[in-house]
Amino acid sequence: MVTDVPPLAKYEQDLRKGVLVLAVLSQLRTAQYGYSLRQALAEQGMPIEEGTLYPLLRRLEAQGLLDSEWQVDGGPPRRYYTLSTPGAELYRDLHESWGALASVMNTLLEGPRS
Amino acid sequence: MNPEAIIDTYVTDVVRRLPRKQRADVAFELRSLLAEELQDRAESAGRPADAAVTMDLLAAFGRPVDVADRYRPAGFTIIRPADAPGFARVSLIGVALQWLVSLVTVYSIPMDATAPGGDWLSRLGSWWLTWGLGAFWWPGFLVTASIVAALVSSRRVPKDAVPFVILDRDRVNRSLVVLYIALAAVGSAPLVAIPSIASWGSSLPQPVVEAFTLDAEFLAYRAPWALLLWAAALGIAVALLVAGRWTRTIRIASAVSDVAWIALLVWWVAGPVFAAPLADETTRGILALLAVGVVVDLVFTVRRIAKPIAAPAR
Repeated sequence: MVTDVPPLAKYEQDLRKGVLVLAVLSQLRTAQYGYSLRQALAEQGMPIEEGTLYPLLRRLEAQGLLDSEWQVDGGPPRRYYTLSTPGAELYRDLHESWGALASVMNTLLEGPRS
Repeated sequence: MNPEAIIDTYVTDVVRRLPRKQRADVAFELRSLLAEELQDRAESAGRPADAAVTMDLLAAFGRPVDVADRYRPAGFTIIRPADAPGFARVSLIGVALQWLVSLVTVYSIPMDATAPGGDWLSRLGSWWLTWGLGAFWWPGFLVTASIVAALVSSRRVPKDAVPFVILDRDRVNRSLVVLYIALAAVGSAPLVAIPSIASWGSSLPQPVVEAFTLDAEFLAYRAPWALLLWAAALGIAVALLVAGRWTRTIRIASAVSDVAWIALLVWWVAGPVFAAPLADETTRGILALLAVGVVVDLVFTVRRIAKPIAAPAR
């Protein structure tokens, strides 16, 4: 049975979903608020839809991985997020896992070396 | 239209789906973020931050209900995707059966069509307001039962070892089969003894003897078949004990046995079983319920008769 093949964008989106949390944690070693975080990720080639990112920050905070506080720097009040201690530990672990996974994937994609 | 008003409405629509204690905080943050996104989007497009740009932004952000879902942590599943088609089928069939039976009952009662409420349309209206709508208790009951089951399983600590019945549903517990055979032997003894109660006349009160006096025709022609079917059931149980699992052959034998039991029970219910009317009426009611139970067992048995796995056609 052959079904319609989803467009490339769908597969790319699935790939990005898998690394979303790691990408966000990597940028929250310094405090960021939602909009600045999205900009930072986009500038480094990891655009994330705002409708996905902002709720994700709240969920990570609810899981105890992020700390947050409201700050007023002469502009409108903004909620800044940063890694909590468990979040920093998870980030280190995920960073290591990513290194191993990327290595395996590179081997798979490049094929066996002769 | 004022973009701020549009954003406020959108944000309110999102946060009303969130837990009450989160709403104010999320609303304030989300409104602030959307305002910044709007400015950014307008500047990038070289357009004023008007209603059209706002609507584009909100469309990209997503439906309020979807956004609210993303704010919530993953909840528990009430009906698993794999169970959804079966759940829908059982719900709809249950409602349809109730409608069918109640409609047949309503229209089989003779009524004067010229009397008030006696015409077919009025009867249909009365049916709809009673049995018709009432039949929806069934899907409601199923949903409630599913919620309770989901709550229980969501709180259960997962065990490391998965019970064998989940991984191998055809495997049987031999000890339980032995217990079943023993209980069936013990349970059938009083039933077989019923015809002899009359001969114990001197030791039992007369009303008891009368209540347990079997109908002569039942005893002579309809009752003996039970012995044959009990023997078949015993054979199936022994086969199960030897094999240690439900095989296709044993399931087919069990289904055939169920069909024979249903036929026999229907035959029994169709005529008198006991000579005394009260005992007879009660017994036939119990036998009818038993027949329904066997029908349910037959449905499950037939559904589980697995076809041999065949190689795909080339």
